[in-house]
Amino acid sequence: MADAVIVVSLLLVAVTATAAVANRDPARQALVLSVLGLVLAVLFTVLQAPDVGLSQLAVGSALTPLLIMLSVRRVKRRGQPKDGGR
Amino acid sequence: MNDWNLAATLLLAVGAGAAVWGVSTGPLRRRVVAQNLSTSAVCPSLLLLAQGYDRPSYVDLALLLALLGPVGTLVFARLLSDELTDDPPRARGLTWAAAGLGAVTVVVLCAAVGPSRAMVKLLVIGALLIGGNVVASRALSGGFRGVRGG
Amino acid sequence: MSRRTRLWLVAVSGTGLAALLVAACLELPPFGGSSHPYGERAVRAALARHTANTIASVNFDQRAYDTLGEMSILFAAVLGCVVLLRQARDEHRARPEPAEVDLPVRRYALIVLPVAVVGGLYVIAHGQLSPGGGFQGGVVAATALHLLYLGADYRALERVRPVGLFEVADSLAVSAYLVLGLAGVLAGTAFLANTLLPYGTFNTLSSGGNVPLLNAAIGMEVACAVVVLLARFLDQAVEIEQGNGKDDKDDKDDKESEKENGKENGA
Repeated sequence: MADAVIVVSLLLVAVTATAAVANRDPARQALVLSVLGLVLAVLFTVLQAPDVGLSQLAVGSALTPLLIMLSVRRVKRRGQPKDGGR
Repeated sequence: MNDWNLAATLLLAVGAGAAVWGVSTGPLRRRVVAQNLSTSAVCPSLLLLAQGYDRPSYVDLALLLALLGPVGTLVFARLLSDELTDDPPRARGLTWAAAGLGAVTVVVLCAAVGPSRAMVKLLVIGALLIGGNVVASRALSGGFRGVRGG
Repeated sequence: MSRRTRLWLVAVSGTGLAALLVAACLELPPFGGSSHPYGERAVRAALARHTANTIASVNFDQRAYDTLGEMSILFAAVLGCVVLLRQARDEHRARPEPAEVDLPVRRYALIVLPVAVVGGLYVIAHGQLSPGGGFQGGVVAATALHLLYLGADYRALERVRPVGLFEVADSLAVSAYLVLGLAGVLAGTAFLANTLLPYGTFNTLSSGGNVPLLNAAIGMEVACAVVVLLARFLDQAVEIEQGNGKDDKDDKDDKESEKENGKENGA
């Protein structure tokens, strides 16, 4: 019973990671990835590793989505005709 | 396992589970709302876990999440603004329900720790969390209408 | 190699790997047991040097050399990004249009920006006392600056963020870590040995000898590295455009120069 919270967070991580792989569009993947960062941070916390959880939160909640979405925008702009894409 | 951990487990199973379901299926407008609400489900459960383990320093995780979670949502609101303007999300009820959940958690925890520096920290986290979620929700439903690329 | 052989190879090696993993898992100590030989020694060493957060003691004292490696990885990665994402010869800069952001969102960004920077500094400063440290705090502080881009526009961010200065600060922080390590050698002990400074009172900000200094160097390095990295990504996503236009003043110029380019290319 005491491990219920560990089981729940492990299940959440497994489901979210699978969902991140199953999505095809990078923007939607980034959305799933940011939620994956949160549940991973919870998993690290319940395994008593708050330092790692803190790193995961710092990187996963805002920085990774920003880097991915900026790359997506750049690639999209490159594919569009010149004066319509801004 | 004490009551705090039990509450955190339930909140994670229901709240974070719903957020994962919402973010991985359905149209984009539903996904961004679920991404925003994942913060308001996970942050209170981190607070409850810190209380359950009796480790006040774990509260830092919730503080960081309350600061950065809404920033992550603003990233999506800004960089997906073209698609979201065509099909804006409407989640007023959910947003206020999530804000109420955060407020209830913070109030209960404040009552548990009593007046101290820890209580001030809890109140700051609560204000950041609720304010951040409400503003991020507003940003999603048309806060970046005037943005074209910049 | 034919497709069939490759599939066989994958199947055989996969099965072998799975068997080895299962065999290794069967020999693991039980989950959540009470025997932690490495943990006990690390905690004892951390307490001997008055560092309350054992993780910080492992990162910046017992295994400070590993952290030096990690820091150089980040430094090299950012350097690679700066080289790869520079403005190419067939690209030009177009000034981004100003953005109109909803007032509550703009206010939120301007209020949370200083709070998040202070939060990041708090996490860095308390690295040796509570969970956190240079890496986590540095990322938070650097991310916070970019609220200016999210809440206002790119030009507002550019005004408060001289990238050159951050590049210099990044290198300075890396050098500071190295100099702190070399100071140990000069003092007659070993590279990065925590023997220079008094260990201080347990559970205060200045405890732990070298740990807070190394922690601060890492915090500065990570914050500057993230700012430089995001600056390159933002440049690519917002400012740099394809086509050989000159640095134009406004959109009209932009389109005209592109038309000219088109003519030249067509001719």
